[in-house]
Amino acid sequence: MVHQYKNNGYNIVLDVNSGAVHVVDDIAYDVALLYEEVPADGIVDRLREKYTPEEIKEAIAEITQLKEAGELFTPDEYEDVVGDWKGRETVVKALCLHIAHDCNLSCRYCFAQEGEYHGKRELMSVETGKAALDFLIAQSGNRRNLEVDFFGGEPTLNFEVVKELVAYGREQEKLHPKKFRFTLTTNGVLLNQEIMDFANREMANVVLSIDGRKEVNDHMRPFPNGAGSYDVIVPKFQKFADSRNQENYYVRGTFTHHNLDFSKDVLHLADLGFRQISVEPVVAQETDSYAIREEDLPQLFDEYDKLAQEMIRRTREGRGFQFFHFMIDLEGGPCVVKRLSGCGSGTEYLAVTPWGDLYPCHQFVGDDGFLMGNVFDGVKNEKLKAEFQGCNVYAKKKCRDCFARFYCSGGCAANSYHFHGNIQDAYDIGCALQKKRVECAIMIKAALAQEQ
Amino acid sequence: MKHIKTLNTKKLQHTVKGCGECQTSVGK
Repeated sequence: MVHQYKNNGYNIVLDVNSGAVHVVDDIAYDVALLYEEVPADGIVDRLREKYTPEEIKEAIAEITQLKEAGELFTPDEYEDVVGDWKGRETVVKALCLHIAHDCNLSCRYCFAQEGEYHGKRELMSVETGKAALDFLIAQSGNRRNLEVDFFGGEPTLNFEVVKELVAYGREQEKLHPKKFRFTLTTNGVLLNQEIMDFANREMANVVLSIDGRKEVNDHMRPFPNGAGSYDVIVPKFQKFADSRNQENYYVRGTFTHHNLDFSKDVLHLADLGFRQISVEPVVAQETDSYAIREEDLPQLFDEYDKLAQEMIRRTREGRGFQFFHFMIDLEGGPCVVKRLSGCGSGTEYLAVTPWGDLYPCHQFVGDDGFLMGNVFDGVKNEKLKAEFQGCNVYAKKKCRDCFARFYCSGGCAANSYHFHGNIQDAYDIGCALQKKRVECAIMIKAALAQEQ
Repeated sequence: MKHIKTLNTKKLQHTVKGCGECQTSVGK
């Protein structure tokens, strides 16, 4: 399968099954469109009004050479590799610890309902947290690298427990052949020097929540009394990011129907000095006023194009920045198994409530139908676990023939469930945006490679 | 090549060596 597109003056041909990316001239682009369907003589006849027969034959020869090298029109050999995934052995390697079901902001789009997740306000105890880490160690098989994300609500509302759990994890590393990778997500309201110092010692990554421009952020991320949070958090985030040498963090925002010109928010964050940025589309029901709608897509595509072009310009000027959704590794990247199976929610990755209940991921917390067990007794809902184990690119009709499947892995199970009522579908607006982002990310690589 | 410039040499087929040690996510 080949995906061809034109973006920012580049003709790009992606060989989906090998991952090879080719930048081609107009002749090769037009030949590639016909190559698999039309014999060589027919291609020459069809294109002779645009190009000379010699040029067309040259392009045909080059494409044939790449096909023989396994870099173009490569067959899909992976469905057999996937085999029967439902029966495979999986281990738990990552936990999302809901350290606090409470929050000091009242963000309008929060899926956690001010941190309560449709339930009660509660903080995780040290005992429950330790039981969660013990569960992770016991259920992780021979995996060495384990991940624990301190999430909420707002984790800094329960930071003493965070510190105790990190210390407990470090003790356990001496007793077991395990290495914990701790991460933290915060809205920044309670950030202080002590928390920053601790995070800089112990947190492999921190996520700092801010939506972009002051008016955008303060409209969606107010305090309970209605006051905006921008002026409180920006100086702290700038100091925090600098203290981490502008690495191993993200400022992370959400754009909505109210700021479809979100590239301005990304660039605003870059202009504030941040170098690791993610601004992502809200996922909301269409009844919500701020939800992204299908008619918004053309403008959002334009915004991604504008952002990609500006990122190229700034990179050339020596002031580039990372944009999470444009990060793509054409030389490396994960193995096919990882690409086909996705995030591992419900199998390798679980969310833990303050009282120790287990859910497939943070997006399912509070939905009783997705309760999987608890950290004291383990996973009890084997039927649900098996359903998540069956999640892979080839199990989803919308994904199996999609050009972006190796960069998306079938999308988000929670989004699929919330829009289609099952986890084996895909959220259509999310798909459209993901495909556009993959195209932009590859174009950026092409543009920057041109200079090397 | 005159008409085509290939950006990368990595081929996904070669990764078919699943150890699970990678970070949770998606795109040595």
